Amino acid sequence: MAENIVKISHLRFGPANKPILDNISLSVEAGHFMGIVGPNGAGKSTLINIIAGLTQPDGGHIDLMGECLTRYSRRRLLKQIGFLHQLHDHQPRLPMRVSDVVAMGLGQYASPWKRTDQQAIKHALELVDMDKLTNSDFRQLSGGQRQRVRLARALVNKPKLLLLDEPSAALDSVSQDRLFRLLRRLCDETGMCAIMVEHDIAAISSHVDSVACLNRQIHHHAMKGENIPDDVWRGMYGDHIQIVAHDAGCIGCHPETGTHHHD
Amino acid sequence: MIDLLSDFLASPVMSASLLPALLIAVVTASMSVMVMAHRLSFLTVGVSHASLAGLGIAVSLSLPLLPIATLFSVAIALLLALMPKRQGISEDAGTGILFAGSMALGIVLISTATTTRVDLFGLLFGNILTVSANEKVWLYFLGTLILIVMLLASRAWWSIAFDAVTAEASGLPVNALRLLLYGLVGLTVILCVKLAGIVLTAGLLVLPAACAWLWGRSLASLWLLSVGFSVTGTCAGLIWSYAYEWPSGASVVLALCGLFVISWASNGIRASITTRN
Repeated sequence: MAENIVKISHLRFGPANKPILDNISLSVEAGHFMGIVGPNGAGKSTLINIIAGLTQPDGGHIDLMGECLTRYSRRRLLKQIGFLHQLHDHQPRLPMRVSDVVAMGLGQYASPWKRTDQQAIKHALELVDMDKLTNSDFRQLSGGQRQRVRLARALVNKPKLLLLDEPSAALDSVSQDRLFRLLRRLCDETGMCAIMVEHDIAAISSHVDSVACLNRQIHHHAMKGENIPDDVWRGMYGDHIQIVAHDAGCIGCHPETGTHHHD
Repeated sequence: MIDLLSDFLASPVMSASLLPALLIAVVTASMSVMVMAHRLSFLTVGVSHASLAGLGIAVSLSLPLLPIATLFSVAIALLLALMPKRQGISEDAGTGILFAGSMALGIVLISTATTTRVDLFGLLFGNILTVSANEKVWLYFLGTLILIVMLLASRAWWSIAFDAVTAEASGLPVNALRLLLYGLVGLTVILCVKLAGIVLTAGLLVLPAACAWLWGRSLASLWLLSVGFSVTGTCAGLIWSYAYEWPSGASVVLALCGLFVISWASNGIRASITTRN
């Protein structure tokens, strides 16, 4: 049985009378690729930030790599995590080469006496197909290229857990598909566990192993090939749901009809 | 020109002030890269002006000027780092409040002091030519300390400036490193006061990196260029100051402004040629 990378028990965040996250319990193993979907304000980014150690939960328990996430273990555990958060700086202003950006993801980057592992940087850039632009000015890249460099930065330390908050926001559909395929391959080949927040379940469903439907609490955690019942969608999005035809092999589809729910 | 240079180097006042001025140039250039990266230009203005209160306290109580001003500046810088978060006040408003309040306190204290040993013009606009032996020791100590801390923390600071959220998620103690940076800005401000004075200190802490920003492509190149511009501006300013008997601090800041205008214009021309091709 694969090692548990993330184990969340009865997690709670926010005021007791109106929690943002309530009674969240999840287990994700090594090599597993999980998508988290839900409407705006569902608490998806908050959950990712709590797992990344950026936000303190108000209740519950988190184990990362088999060790309890506390104030004391946080720094050590976070060195095994790659994190790609929602894009805010659409206009980067620091003069940096692409390789400098990726180097920041190395565990020893902040130590001036340690040599930068150029081989690891090259490998990470090759993974995201950006190795030809190693010495380019980061500011001159397109939004999609910058996002791929940021992903290389998250991957350069060979993390056991990769957390991604809407990583495809700046990407076109071809680049999105390439990104999801890469993440799938990394999970299969390296045993890395990936947890990704996305709005569009249709885009990720054929790549991920499971999808957690989140809106304040986890309404359903569907594994590959599993149907997501109608009441789960209604519980998350309300009654404004359209049913559209979709690939029958993906998560959330009715196996017999090949239909998929969208809001 | 050669005569002017040889006269400049032969002058005992200039030769005595050259080494401290160059040390200040290297330290401020190094620090200015972080000031630009973390958008702390207004903070440097605030802390430098607020240091007048520290100088006023030292004058009123007949205490040594530079050590007391140093403590006061670091305290103000740390207060500025902590105040906005704790009280919900924006950083620029907090800087404005402390800047005005401390400056007013400094003016009142200095104007009511019984001692006549204060060179107010020197404090406001700097005069490296009057640096004493004790002040030199203090400058060398502060300069070395700032450079060592810079060397140890620059990559972490750079990482925070690029993306603070990811830096924190990678396990860096972002809040502690920010406090350290603010404290170091306070120390650097005091280092500059002797050369450029309270009013012009921000020039030394912003202009070298602002020039380098137009040319640099990496942290290392930014730092080297910033030091290059700062040393060039300081030497040119001191030579002007010697040749035309201008105030030394103002001459150095003017030379740095000149370098910035040249860099900015050349960069604009280069960009338009590249676009046309």
